[in-house]
Amino acid sequence: MKLTIVKPLMAVMALLAWPVSTFAASEAPGWLQERMFASGKINTVVMVVGAVLIGIAIWMFALDRRIGKLEKNAKDKK
Amino acid sequence: MRTAEIAHLLRLEWQLDRRQKHVWGSMALYVVSTIYVCYHGVRHLTEVPIWNALFWIILLFAAFNALVRSFQRENQGRQLYLYTLASPRSVVLARTLYNGLIMAVLSLLSLGAYALFIGGAPLEAARLDIFLPVVVIGGTGFALVLTLIAALAARAGNGIGLMAILGFPIVLPMLLSLMKASKLALDGMGWNVTGQYVLWLVLIDLITVALAWLLFPYLWRD
Amino acid sequence: MKGWWWKGLSVVLLLYVVLVGLHTPLGPALVYASLDRIAPGPITVGATGYNTHFTKETPQVWLENDGYRVCAAAVDVHSDVLLQATFNVPPGLRSNMTSLWAWDATDGPVVLRDAFFTEELGKDLQGAGCTVSTTERSGFSFPNRTILNETIRNLFFHVPMWFTMMVLMTIAFVQSLLVLRKGNLAHDRMALSAVDTSLLFAALGLITGSIWARATWGDWWTSDPKLNGAAVTVLIYAAYLILRGSVPDPHKRARLAAIYNIFAYVLMMVFLMVLPRLTDSLHPGNGGNPAFSQYDLDSSLRAVFYPAVTGWVLLGVWAYTLHLRTARLISIADEANDR
Repeated sequence: MKLTIVKPLMAVMALLAWPVSTFAASEAPGWLQERMFASGKINTVVMVVGAVLIGIAIWMFALDRRIGKLEKNAKDKK
Repeated sequence: MRTAEIAHLLRLEWQLDRRQKHVWGSMALYVVSTIYVCYHGVRHLTEVPIWNALFWIILLFAAFNALVRSFQRENQGRQLYLYTLASPRSVVLARTLYNGLIMAVLSLLSLGAYALFIGGAPLEAARLDIFLPVVVIGGTGFALVLTLIAALAARAGNGIGLMAILGFPIVLPMLLSLMKASKLALDGMGWNVTGQYVLWLVLIDLITVALAWLLFPYLWRD
Repeated sequence: MKGWWWKGLSVVLLLYVVLVGLHTPLGPALVYASLDRIAPGPITVGATGYNTHFTKETPQVWLENDGYRVCAAAVDVHSDVLLQATFNVPPGLRSNMTSLWAWDATDGPVVLRDAFFTEELGKDLQGAGCTVSTTERSGFSFPNRTILNETIRNLFFHVPMWFTMMVLMTIAFVQSLLVLRKGNLAHDRMALSAVDTSLLFAALGLITGSIWARATWGDWWTSDPKLNGAAVTVLIYAAYLILRGSVPDPHKRARLAAIYNIFAYVLMMVFLMVLPRLTDSLHPGNGGNPAFSQYDLDSSLRAVFYPAVTGWVLLGVWAYTLHLRTARLISIADEANDR
């Protein structure tokens, strides 16, 4: 169970991190990059996208449970 | 539409309520005791926003208290009897209008009691020709919206608790615009500023009555 | 594969939105100046750019005050995003706010509006001052706006949530009308599924909005007509669910819930449409704020925003059908159990 979750999770995280790494990294000095990062606020975007994915995941789990109950019901019938 | 039938039902409501004097007493007592409790909490209020907000909150609860009995006083038998006599649309229209009238009176009475206990200082700078109509429209509007909700809650077989849960979110938009309009009137703003709010409140009232008229027959049916 | 195309379309559209929406760079902009007030005489200002390319070609840098331009006497480029400019500020500038501009061929004109408070004003300066290039840059990018910056991308992940919620609530409204017309429990199930699913998107809209508000307006929750409208909406549909829970008889429950839903939906729509127009709002298009169309004037945003709305709405409808089909199966199973 655990292993099956890890891979998609890593893929999602890579997808989220990709734009960050592509434009945040520049030749600017460290303090400046920090400033840019703060003023760029890309973290907020990452948080928002993350929140949407987590919300949908929670909803999927709820649906999963409903279907699970149905399956159990059907099995009991047999 | 049967105007005569509605007028007759209105008279019937009035006669029924006149016979039950304690109903009036309980409504008045509720408002006065609420205001009196607030008076002990705050003494005299001179700050306009708080004065305004407190007034509307008191009036809102008074409306809930007054209207919750609207559809609960009659038992199943009388409801059935009314059903055979009049069309459900006339019944709901008559009752909505009746509740609206009662709340119009009650809101003015509450304002009097409120000014007496909590202080009438904010009224001195106010445009009363705008503030008083807003109070009456607001009180009536609460009654119009809550009449259908009271009927729903009564049909669901669950009294004041359900009515509060169903009613609050629906009344909230109205309450927000009422507070805004009356605040502007208290600040002495003229019709050119408050006019759009008043218009919008009247619009909500009309839409509510139309919806009650459309939906009530389905509620009535068993 | 009949009936699948729109599900695929939603995935394709959302994939496009994630890739293009997150990967398109923001346009270059000036974001910071090391001074905040200027007075006549020589001054040296450090300016920080965002996604700029100062090293490719030394940019022209100038101050602009009420249409009068003062070009830099010397420009010293430290990096792509950092430069230092020296000005001889003449006395007698007309406005108390001065903007800082820079231009190079790669980035086009970039500006930090009202960057400096200006001292010692006068009326002597005439004309437009020095001449500068204003050729626009070419290339696909999102506009870089003050305060918003990168968060403008949230447009594709926050706003469509509300669109989706409204679509699902409209489905619930129509199904409620059908319940009253036909007295059919199947329509009641559809209304309930639509409400349930719409609450997911309402929650997502609130959470994403809250995060975005924290980053731009500095607070998790502000008293804003849009937010009040959203809160009222969530409360109404929570009340709808509670009403359903308190009526045991399914036919009566269907009818009462439908009546409440219709009543609430109509009042809520009127509220959502009218109230924001009457009060000030931090949201674009309301009160004193620039309209959304002005944000979208940049066709680059529109090229992602419209697919985003379509994609999210389709995904929402998909979620609704999944919910509905499960509910249908559950009710079939319940009936079989009762027998």
